[in-house]
Amino acid sequence: MSAGIVLVVVMFACSLIGTEPISLKAALLKTDAPSTVNPDHEILIRVRLPRIILAAIVGAALASSGVAFQALLHNPLADPYILGISSGAGLGAIIAVLSGFSWTIWGRSPIAIFAFAGAVGTTWLVWFIGRSTKKFQMTGLLLAGVVVNAFFSALIMFLTSIAKSEDVHATIFWLMGNMMEEDFFVLWIGAGCIFAAIVALFYISPQLNVLSFGEDDARNIGININRTRTVAFAVAALATAIAVSLSGLIGFVGLIVPHGVRLVFGPDHRQLFPLTAIVGAIFLVTADTVARIIVAPAQLPVGIVTAIVGGPFFLILLVRHSKKAIW
Amino acid sequence: MNSIIDIENLTFEYTRQNAVLKDISFQVKPQEFFIIAGPNGAGKSTLLNLLCRSIIPKSGTIRIDGATIESYNTRELAEKIAVVRQEHVPIFGFSVIETVMMARTPFFSPLGFENEADRKIVNEALEVTETDRFASRPLANLSGGERQRVLIARALAQNTPMLLLDEPTSFLDLKHQVAMYDLLKLAQTQKGKTIVAVTHDINLAAQYCDELLLLSSPAALVPHDDNLAKGTYYLGEAKNVLSPDRIKKVFGVSVFTGKVGKENFFIPIGKYARDRNSVLQQPQDS
Repeated sequence: MSAGIVLVVVMFACSLIGTEPISLKAALLKTDAPSTVNPDHEILIRVRLPRIILAAIVGAALASSGVAFQALLHNPLADPYILGISSGAGLGAIIAVLSGFSWTIWGRSPIAIFAFAGAVGTTWLVWFIGRSTKKFQMTGLLLAGVVVNAFFSALIMFLTSIAKSEDVHATIFWLMGNMMEEDFFVLWIGAGCIFAAIVALFYISPQLNVLSFGEDDARNIGININRTRTVAFAVAALATAIAVSLSGLIGFVGLIVPHGVRLVFGPDHRQLFPLTAIVGAIFLVTADTVARIIVAPAQLPVGIVTAIVGGPFFLILLVRHSKKAIW
Repeated sequence: MNSIIDIENLTFEYTRQNAVLKDISFQVKPQEFFIIAGPNGAGKSTLLNLLCRSIIPKSGTIRIDGATIESYNTRELAEKIAVVRQEHVPIFGFSVIETVMMARTPFFSPLGFENEADRKIVNEALEVTETDRFASRPLANLSGGERQRVLIARALAQNTPMLLLDEPTSFLDLKHQVAMYDLLKLAQTQKGKTIVAVTHDINLAAQYCDELLLLSSPAALVPHDDNLAKGTYYLGEAKNVLSPDRIKKVFGVSVFTGKVGKENFFIPIGKYARDRNSVLQQPQDS
């Protein structure tokens, strides 16, 4: 509850920070003549607010997917991209650029749509291969993810090397993670999907708790492990794919936020899903604000900020992990 | 016959050539303390996994409380049988009370939270196992013995008539081994649980169990040389099942034997053990 309030406060504060100083009073002031442009209002509502809402959605999606993948794969080092979603999305984006499509759906560029399709398709492929390994399902899934990731990365490099450089530059820049200003309609759809995903994950969270004790234990306690796994996997993968198609690949949010929240609030998934979603949103909104202002008037891709903050933080966690082996 | 577990002609094989369990039949009565013993590879754990349906038999039937094990769904079976496996630590740092509460997961409300009845059952399980002292500590910070008791508490909180245990004393020192058997006896007598435990420790098991199943590895097929031998296993009261000759035959090791009350005890004596010749009445060289 209080975490939710902090999120609203952070979103509000960040909307006032930027290259162009704005006055809240001026922005909210009603202009008598509708034809005159209120620059403060324009910047706040049309530029900053959509961007902050986007960051919140993507942060929440990546962080809660990270929790789900870590529980699912019995691996505290898993992140939302571990099963090949990132390279699948990248491949989709490159193909979109090379094929030169120019149509849009709901205002989404072909890059975003192809990235989404690539992400979902790759996840399905990895799941399919993983399932066919039967006995060591989760290890099989991880291995399939790693191999598919490597294969698609090679394809991306191949396509990059035969493509025209300016097209490729645009794609790579997009992939690095960007908070482009968005249409409110797209934002609300995205927010609705991510909220539904978090609710679904919360719904199966007691089962995920038991699953962290291993498959046999979970079955003996009376958990339908196949259903739990399928739901967790499908929901987390879809949420990640939506996040990727909205803003490209933003690293570390899905890895460090789950760990940070777990360290502070404990490992119970019933708490973890709502809390990581909110903390992930706060983290990404803050990181994006830093990205907007730190090299002003230019802007950094937010993926660089999360990686620069996240990298050292993650290494500290790794050292702690080897010391006490508890999360 | 009134039995809570009824095994008939059970056979299981991992590969075509070698059956791990061959044509085994036995019954466990309600509120009985039943021990499954035998050497490594004789199929003890396989049998336990069959009883909780982690694996499916090649042939034969397993009846739990009158119905075949296949007729239960996962949750129904979990309401009959709780399983304590050899200790392991989960990847995330759940506390003792969180771990025990997980046994109630199938009964949580749709929103995923426990109610007053769940809390009461969990507290009782913590008390009986004397794990309430460290209820809020993370599982990973406990000693092996403490952790094993927590897993027993979790199994008790499942509120099942049957408790299956896979080598519950294997990582414990003498004091904790005894404490573990006392705890199981308590669960049997006070809570009316049926206890089925796999163990290596025949001496301790003999002092507590009502019935003992001694599995032999099929490689050393036991001939039908006495009335207790049934193919590849012996079944009966511990004092009748366990004898120096049989242990020599089944485990392939010579033992020094004596009596504690009515029960025989056995101390294995190795080939190069210092006092081998003076200890064994009939020195047997292999």
